[in-house]
Amino acid sequence: MSAGEARLLLLGWSLRGGTSSLSLRERIAFSADETKEALNRIRDQGLVREGVIVATCHRSEIYGVADGDAPREQIAALISEWRGLDPAELAGSSFYREGADAARHLFRVAAGLDSMALGESEVLGQVRSALRVAREANATRAVLHRMFESAVAAGKRVRTETEIARHPLSVPSIGMELARKVFGRMSEHTLLVLGAGETSALFAEQAVEAGVARVLVANRSPEKGEALASRIGATAVDWNAVPVTLSEADVVVGATASPEPVVRRADVEAAMRARRGRPMFFLDLAIPRDVEPSVAEVYNVYAYGLDDLEGVAAENRRRRAREIPVAEAILEEELARFLNWFGNLAVVPTLSDLQGRLASLRDAELARIPAEERERFRAFADAIANKLLHEPLRRLKAEPDASRKLDRVEAIRHLFHLDE
Amino acid sequence: MGPHVLGWLAVACYCGAEAVATVSLVRGRGTLYRLAPVLVAAGLVLHFMDLMQRARALHSVPYRTLGGSVSFFGWMLGIAYLFLLLRHRERATGPFLIPFIILATAVGLMLPDAAAAPGQGLHGSVFALHVTLAILAYAAFALSFVLSVLYLVQSRQLRRRQTGLLFSRLPPLDVIARLNRTSVTVGLAVLTFSLILGIFWAEKVWPSIADPKVVWAVITLGVYGFLLWMDRRGWEGPRVAVLSILGFGVVLFSYTVVNLYFSQAHSFR
Repeated sequence: MSAGEARLLLLGWSLRGGTSSLSLRERIAFSADETKEALNRIRDQGLVREGVIVATCHRSEIYGVADGDAPREQIAALISEWRGLDPAELAGSSFYREGADAARHLFRVAAGLDSMALGESEVLGQVRSALRVAREANATRAVLHRMFESAVAAGKRVRTETEIARHPLSVPSIGMELARKVFGRMSEHTLLVLGAGETSALFAEQAVEAGVARVLVANRSPEKGEALASRIGATAVDWNAVPVTLSEADVVVGATASPEPVVRRADVEAAMRARRGRPMFFLDLAIPRDVEPSVAEVYNVYAYGLDDLEGVAAENRRRRAREIPVAEAILEEELARFLNWFGNLAVVPTLSDLQGRLASLRDAELARIPAEERERFRAFADAIANKLLHEPLRRLKAEPDASRKLDRVEAIRHLFHLDE
Repeated sequence: MGPHVLGWLAVACYCGAEAVATVSLVRGRGTLYRLAPVLVAAGLVLHFMDLMQRARALHSVPYRTLGGSVSFFGWMLGIAYLFLLLRHRERATGPFLIPFIILATAVGLMLPDAAAAPGQGLHGSVFALHVTLAILAYAAFALSFVLSVLYLVQSRQLRRRQTGLLFSRLPPLDVIARLNRTSVTVGLAVLTFSLILGIFWAEKVWPSIADPKVVWAVITLGVYGFLLWMDRRGWEGPRVAVLSILGFGVVLFSYTVVNLYFSQAHSFR
């Protein structure tokens, strides 16, 4: 796929595909400033006329638009020299795509199909910010700009039209999802977190973000509990009052390091009486358990352990994976649209589109005048159109700078609305 | 027009709605589901015209016969479905509720309309309101039955860690329970009102109001009243759902066996 002499290319290093080791990937990771510097170096050497670097925890990918033969080796050499890496190692662990395949790869990345957690949404923001950084470095023009925007749009479409991003994969989000299956919206409910360690903090934070009406934190050492509560905007409760507090809690999350259960069946039964049978949901993320297993037998109580949540995660991963073919079909549709636009960027198809547009305008106007006069007016209209277009088109064809030529073709297509 | 052409067209609309509702529930995305209420609404219009035709043929209210009454019950269930969807935006119940609409309508159309002698005093607005409200109450209890079954299914899936397609599509327990509560409350209020109207009207027309149907209506009220009371007293959850299912058993018994074999005044004769 190319527009005139312009060629899309992609040179990348990915952890996921197993093409590069972690240490190598660390050494070719780019910060925002380094990204700009790398783009400048590549462009200064005239290797590409446009470039964008997508750098995430699992990949570094250099997208470019080059003229004529693709400068794969030169770009790799430049990176290895700049980063002080063995060129052979760098080249051996990279992957390379050209034309439609390069664009397709970007679309897949944006849709989360290339991510470790299938369908994750963070990568969409990373693709978007890669474009922003490249624009700040003045490294993009029409082609990559359009390609990245199309990829982001395609990624959004995949996420709304398929279930690839719907079923949660992480333990806290699965826990919240299950709680919602009992209580519906959590904005009127209370969540009690036992413990103030890492898992507790993660969960309490997620609950506050999810709009849970009241988040309570109980920890054996009150200082830590209060610190966590005030950090995330929750309420600290006394550790010894936990059995009593149970009756207020709709969801109880256990994540303490306590060697014996913190929540006893008798306490839960008392709490249920005080709650007049309203359901309770227990999430036991602690090893050993924080919630006595027999709690699950109490009427209208639902209790899940860590194993259960991992089972759900595996199930959800499978369900996301089932959506891959649908997602790919959407991507191919969006990709075809982009490639069509890109192919039209060459001068010749644009000229014929423009002439076609003028001819249809002319015919529409001619239809409004009496038939016997049409021939005369047709010649007149053609003469004006040809005179009007002659100079701009001559200049366009004669433009020596290929990038500028591409930009101008793009401007004509845009101004005359040729892509509709 | 042949017998019940409009009614069968209505059944076709309901079947279409069921197909659309099921497919969109399984797929879980897209805007196809919007077609389901449109089809049900179209079915309700056709169904209503069929009921009117039946009324003209009977020279009475359409629910003068058992067939007409069951068909009218199906129509009320259709209204309940639209209410659920448009008021509560509850999509997942449709595929489980619409089959009851189809069943009631089709059975109503297939039952023969015996040439009923014009009943004594079976006209007038009080009588019409009494029967309409009674059938509306039955529709509300039928809805509660469907919701209760869904509640038990969802609760069981939660317990057994079955987080498959049906689990992800069915609404949260809390939502089902609330809809169920509303539906039982409406059914209870409407049935009470219908009972009062019936007694008020029967006192004028019949020599005595001692009819088995009245007894069964009171039993029905008792079951659902107990259900609501226990719901507040700490039975919230699966027990309430089971009780609601039992309650609907009483309704069905009262509607069929009692009407046909025990009651003189409610026998469709």
